[in-house]
Amino acid sequence: MGWRVGVDSGGTFTDVCLFEEDTGRIAVWKVSSTPDDPSRGIAGGVAEGMAEIGQAPADIAYFGHGTTVATNALIQHRGVRTGLVTTDGFRDLLEIGRQKRPDLYDLQVDKPPVLVARELRLQVPERIRHDGSVETALDEQAVRDAARALKAAGVQAIAICFLYSFVHPAHEATAKRIIAEEIPGIFLTTSHEIAPEFREFERLSTAVVNSYLGPVMRGYIKRLAERLAELGVTATPHLTQSNGGVIGFEAAAEMPVRMVLSGPSTGVVGAQAIGRLSGFPDLITFDMGGTSTDVALLQGGAARMTGEAIVHGYPIKAPMLDIHTVGAGGGSIAFVDSGGLLKVGPRSCGADPGPVCYDRGNPEAAVTDANVVLGTLHPTHLLGGRMPIRRDLSLAAVERLAAQLGMGVMETAQGILSVVTANMAKAIRVISVQRGHDPRDYTLMAFGGAGPLHASRLAKELDIRRVLVPRNPGILCAMGLLLTDLRADFSATRLTALDEDAVAPMEAAFATLTATAERWFEQEHIAADKRMIRRSVDMRYAGQNYELPVALPDGPFTAATLAHLAEGFAAAHRQMYGFIAEGEAVQLVTFRLEATGVVRKAELRPRPLQGPDPQAALEATREIWLPEAQGIVVVPVYARDRLAPGDRIAGPAIVEQMDATTVILPGQDARVDEYENLILEAAA
Amino acid sequence: MSNMRPDPITVEVIGSALSSIVEEMGEALVRASYSTNIKERRDCSTALFDIAGNTLCQAEHIPIHLGSFIGIIAHILKRHPMAKMQPGDVFVGNDAYEGGGTHLPDIVLAEPIFVDGRIVSWAVNLAHHSDFADRGHAHIFQEGLRIPPIRLYRAGELQNDVQELILLNCQVPRERLSDLRAQMAANRLGVSRMQALCAKYGTETVLAAGEALQDYAERKMRAGIAAIPDGTWTFADVHDSPEIDGELPLTLTLTIAGDTMSLDFDGPDQVRAGINMTFTALLATVYYAVKTVVDPTLLPNAGLARPLRVTAREGSVLNCVLPAAVNARLSTCQRVVDLIHGALAQAVPGRVTAAHNGACFVASFVGRQPITGEPWVYLETIGGGFGARATKDGLDGVHVHTTNTSNLPVEALEIEYPLTLMRYELVEGSGGAGRQRGGMGLRRVYRAEAECRLRMDGSRFASAPWGLQGGQPGGRGRFVYGPGIAPFVLGNGLLQAGDWVEIITPGGGGYGPPGERDRAALQRDLAEGSITPEAAQTIYGAD
Repeated sequence: MGWRVGVDSGGTFTDVCLFEEDTGRIAVWKVSSTPDDPSRGIAGGVAEGMAEIGQAPADIAYFGHGTTVATNALIQHRGVRTGLVTTDGFRDLLEIGRQKRPDLYDLQVDKPPVLVARELRLQVPERIRHDGSVETALDEQAVRDAARALKAAGVQAIAICFLYSFVHPAHEATAKRIIAEEIPGIFLTTSHEIAPEFREFERLSTAVVNSYLGPVMRGYIKRLAERLAELGVTATPHLTQSNGGVIGFEAAAEMPVRMVLSGPSTGVVGAQAIGRLSGFPDLITFDMGGTSTDVALLQGGAARMTGEAIVHGYPIKAPMLDIHTVGAGGGSIAFVDSGGLLKVGPRSCGADPGPVCYDRGNPEAAVTDANVVLGTLHPTHLLGGRMPIRRDLSLAAVERLAAQLGMGVMETAQGILSVVTANMAKAIRVISVQRGHDPRDYTLMAFGGAGPLHASRLAKELDIRRVLVPRNPGILCAMGLLLTDLRADFSATRLTALDEDAVAPMEAAFATLTATAERWFEQEHIAADKRMIRRSVDMRYAGQNYELPVALPDGPFTAATLAHLAEGFAAAHRQMYGFIAEGEAVQLVTFRLEATGVVRKAELRPRPLQGPDPQAALEATREIWLPEAQGIVVVPVYARDRLAPGDRIAGPAIVEQMDATTVILPGQDARVDEYENLILEAAA
Repeated sequence: MSNMRPDPITVEVIGSALSSIVEEMGEALVRASYSTNIKERRDCSTALFDIAGNTLCQAEHIPIHLGSFIGIIAHILKRHPMAKMQPGDVFVGNDAYEGGGTHLPDIVLAEPIFVDGRIVSWAVNLAHHSDFADRGHAHIFQEGLRIPPIRLYRAGELQNDVQELILLNCQVPRERLSDLRAQMAANRLGVSRMQALCAKYGTETVLAAGEALQDYAERKMRAGIAAIPDGTWTFADVHDSPEIDGELPLTLTLTIAGDTMSLDFDGPDQVRAGINMTFTALLATVYYAVKTVVDPTLLPNAGLARPLRVTAREGSVLNCVLPAAVNARLSTCQRVVDLIHGALAQAVPGRVTAAHNGACFVASFVGRQPITGEPWVYLETIGGGFGARATKDGLDGVHVHTTNTSNLPVEALEIEYPLTLMRYELVEGSGGAGRQRGGMGLRRVYRAEAECRLRMDGSRFASAPWGLQGGQPGGRGRFVYGPGIAPFVLGNGLLQAGDWVEIITPGGGGYGPPGERDRAALQRDLAEGSITPEAAQTIYGAD
């Protein structure tokens, strides 16, 4: 037995979460990130963290890591010089995309830069038809010539994408072999391997992003593995993917496109584990930071997945948790526009210069300033005393807005929160009501630096009755790394009518997928009894073009399987759209297989309930302005560290901890559960 | 309507909720629909209206669709007294003269939203039904079924007689039925979400906020116009189409006076071709074009129209009357945007782009599936070059101005229809030369796998999209026919299996003198093949 270590490496801080398997003891270590080479900060943080608790790196039994390396390289366009080999006549598809302009009315907006320059997009004669037949055979010499030209142009990675490769991959496979012969060791992605699904532009984009990021990720993983080995870490390191599962370093280096949402996905996994433990499997996660906020929906303890999303402007087909991001957070700036309405964001003051109260030269009130004015944040310092602030500056900034609006200063400060809350509510409606879920049936789990501060107002806006603030809202992502399994997803598109003839093609497709999954299990050294497979089918009415996933039961394929799929599809369609089209033909489109390697996870231990008197945690009282009272109210302030399981707090009240402040509103009761979560509910 | 003045924060919060509702309606419509035109190309729009027929909020889909929206409620109320409406009534309409529409394939469904027994608002959506294909366009009676606003549902009960009449007049009734269902689902959502919003904030507050949001859009529009120098500017351009001989001269006189703008258009008498515009189509085009220059962040509601005065001679191409045909009005709309931008470029040159491709190229196929004999209709529109901007090149190969539909993936197109796409690429050299280069047009080459009829439409075949401030025009549009194809008449023709045709769309105009183009940018153009070495030397003056 030893220590399980989760490392979440962000832009500012690297969080290290240490968990002792035998005792359930948790320790947390936070160091500054080293953005030029994040592996340095990570190795340093792990070494320091282990030293702090008197352990050696060799005692690490499991190492899980969430990284923003792939995401940042994509945002900052710091991938490698990449080439593309594609079907003759279609090299500009990467640039044309879906031919829509990026903004309907603003003529100054640009499309995201194309990741492969036009002269590095080479086309070769070949054409496959939609039924998989070959109209024009692959011109192998043209592929060889293209490889040589790209080599001469100095590309470091190449993507290969031909039309209908998801039906007939032979041309891509041949091209891959030829290019590898010509440029040994170059990073290669074929579209049928990375995303064997239909719709060529999205598949092409996925293959290109993967190649563009490939060498960056390969280099990073190599450096990190070396540093960990130097430290004496012997455990196999793992990386989280956008699907919330982890994967071994080697596999990760081949599929960086599957890591682009690695960061936010671990927060969702952490929330999922805590929700399950605490008896709240139906969750909406609310991860609000300084500049952006991520929200996701979990039903029955499972996060919704999506097979495709546009990430930083680039369509990506990969299994991802369905996380919706809005560009608003604690640092979002409030202003009055030319029509006289109060707007918040999307501009943000960032960590530097930060909100007005930091006194570093930003004159425009941010959401944080509104909280300082209202008293919901501490009037003299933030971050557990580490950051002194000036409330008078916040007040003056909000007063300027109030004068423009002709409103009182406190009403204006509260108004800033109302506007930002409305933006958040909109984001949550996208992942709930737009997908057929009523948010009132869910618990809002708030984390991130600013989540607990705004959660109760947001819950009220959405008529959500319960808010859960985990014990460590600031490091939920690092925790999540210790709570996840190994996971890989495989898929194949085979348009098949749902009728009695569907059994054979379905059987064949899943046989192939299962064989691929078995190989993956072997690669990851997962013991036979730790292997889990879940199957699903994306279905639609013949003629529709968006599919709905329907879970497939285990066991052999029979007529009963088909009946099950038909029923499952009807139910899903009714939930999503409110109707079913009786008598219309149904199609099976994409077969999916989710392979899980169950690992030993950190087990959070309950503590006995005491309380209910929170007096021992009472730290001070504070004046806050509440719209419910239309005035100043004196409320108790509790220290989160000293609250014990079983304690109960009647709102209004404030709970402070180093990296988060929780607001309990009038009419809300809060209790501390046995896992030290703070649970806020409307008073009975 | 109400004496309550909600505070600016409540207005902003309710504004957010309204835009959530129309977006959700739009998503529901796209996802549940069957036809490629909606499900992949997203040729549809959703909106909420107040009871006076003013737009409360429109989802960001297709600007020209606003033209159908602003007409429909008034036409419904003309025929149907509000007092006789019941919850669950749904009106269907498409007519350009009696239904407020801009062309017949755009079918609108409108449902009154009842709260506490009275109508407080309308949920409205429009879907471009890819039907009424292979029709004549001498007058509107040839163009398809004209539907005045009538009840498709009465108190929640489907009026099957009406539906059967509509479907019998359609070439692909199965798709029509499914798309109508998706449209129903979208409005249902709009109704229930709006009712929930009224329950939460109080109907009076929501309605007052709706009015305040229109006032707000008006204030922003006025503030934006006031920032433009006063004066009168005129601009003239020409419009062409495969449906007519020669070119139509069109003019605009645009006057800025303080915080108001008037736009007086003139053009020839309406023509026996589908390129005429109804007045609502003209208004929607004006709102779009003015918004792009004055303030792109303006809320899409009726308030923005108040500081604008628009005139065009009745019976002219730009303000047609019965029985003018209107099917291909979109290319004309694009030329109207060129007129407005051309006039405003004289007032605020830095904010206006050079002419975009100035057309909406259409390929519309009708045939029978080789094996089943089922009829099929497939319509798509093709983007082109985006005009160069004062400090940036134009975008290559995008939809511009009054439309913004997606293309259909090749792998979806060929699975559904007996067509093969042979090439889809940028047209080298088509971007207008300039200090900032215009965007490149598109080339799309189709091969028929079975006999079918094809109609092709577009504009800027004779004239070219103009440049600004010394920038040169973009490339022209062109159709190229493979061997053995009989000549097309007014854009219509027949393809046999194996025949191919090619559509080339225009590029965008350039901005600023080409000689001033940054040399590094010129090198990139050359490396990428967007311009030829000869052009680099003769036009850009490269060494």
